Amino acid sequence: MNALLAGLTVLVIGDSHMVTRDYLITHLHDDLLAQGAQVDTFGMCGANAGDWVYPTTVSCGKAERIGKAGPQINRAPGSPTYQIDAVIDRVHPNLVVIEMGDTMAGYGQASFPQGWIYQQVHALTGRIAAHNVPCVWVGPPWGSEGSSYHKTFARVKEMSEFLATAVAPCRFIDSTQFSKQGEWPTIDGQHLTASGYKAWGADIAAALDKIAPELAPKP
Amino acid sequence: MTPARFAAAAVLAVLAVWTPRATGAAEGRLYPSGPPNGVAYLRFVNMAPQEVTIVSPAAKITIPADDAHRVRAFDPVTPGVALTGSAQLGKASAAIDVKLAANEFVTVAVSADGPDGMKLTVFREVPADFNAQKSSLGLFNLDKDCGQAQLVAGDNRQSVIPDVAPGGVGRRSVNPVNVELAVACADPAKAAPARLGQLTAGDRYSIFVVDAGGAPQIVAQRDEQAPFRP
Repeated sequence: MNALLAGLTVLVIGDSHMVTRDYLITHLHDDLLAQGAQVDTFGMCGANAGDWVYPTTVSCGKAERIGKAGPQINRAPGSPTYQIDAVIDRVHPNLVVIEMGDTMAGYGQASFPQGWIYQQVHALTGRIAAHNVPCVWVGPPWGSEGSSYHKTFARVKEMSEFLATAVAPCRFIDSTQFSKQGEWPTIDGQHLTASGYKAWGADIAAALDKIAPELAPKP
Repeated sequence: MTPARFAAAAVLAVLAVWTPRATGAAEGRLYPSGPPNGVAYLRFVNMAPQEVTIVSPAAKITIPADDAHRVRAFDPVTPGVALTGSAQLGKASAAIDVKLAANEFVTVAVSADGPDGMKLTVFREVPADFNAQKSSLGLFNLDKDCGQAQLVAGDNRQSVIPDVAPGGVGRRSVNPVNVELAVACADPAKAAPARLGQLTAGDRYSIFVVDAGGAPQIVAQRDEQAPFRP
């Protein structure tokens, strides 16, 4: 374990993978706490990157977890979206971790919506960069094929490869490197089982620990 | 985005009203946009010496003729749907009827050209070079007298984008540097400056070559891409 995460204030934001107990809002958050970081997690179900920048309403709930407290989950649709500027001003993080990809990959669409994804990613990373906070973007896991989400391994690979070029100045963590295709079972094609989230959270925390020395804020 | 949200977005998009950054004025939205049916992007540019009016079934906008405002943002629109309307330049008018494919970026340029004193040129791209560590340069040739426009860089006029015919567009990703760019029509030694200054990583730029009655006029701008707004 690298001691550099200890003492950091880490802001974690994400999509539906952060909005249910025993998802990443439990496991990644707990793993970072265990490394000695102060951790605040915010998730918005169904949200894409632009929703953190341009005010709208959440489609299927949102959640937050502050420090060692438990997750506060609001399943009601229609409440205002969290806005990244306000969240950063509230948390004052030394590091922002963004988990997002499944909501933007255009699952079920014939062609990959590169320009649309890029506009949103660029808008969000631009706001974080304006606060002069280093950031890490975590891409989607493989999930499973054949569900109503129309997630496919080929599109997850395409999305991960694109995010790797699109998220600068954030660093990129490629979640497809953590498991083989189909190794982490899902409950609906997209959301993992509890054991999958435990493994994913541990792998993200380990990857963050590994690159922590390179995450110093800009002078 | 969930299926329910897609459906809501499709309905609300028709009703949406927004304030474009290009003018700062309250204007109607020309066309509905965005997911769930994929996204394409449409922008209008005014390369004429006076203001241009664009009218769609839903709204009307005016594009000034000064360099700060003549290039509008790429707006998200619904692909596969005929987008109709008209462009007006003085007393001249031309019909707009374009259909975009998913992920296509289309630039409709209005210039004071041709027998009616007005011409629409439609540039179509499906760019696949979005990259946060590079800058993307696009060269749009609107000058019928500039047979093979080329973008050159530096004192030695090194070719960056070669051989763009009138009505065509060329594109290239480059490192985000501060380099003197220029556009040549034939002899690189007679290139006209395209002033973009320090390029920014992740940003995209458009350089237009316009017939200005003899010598080509160059308009160089950083692209804006408007967000999808349900």
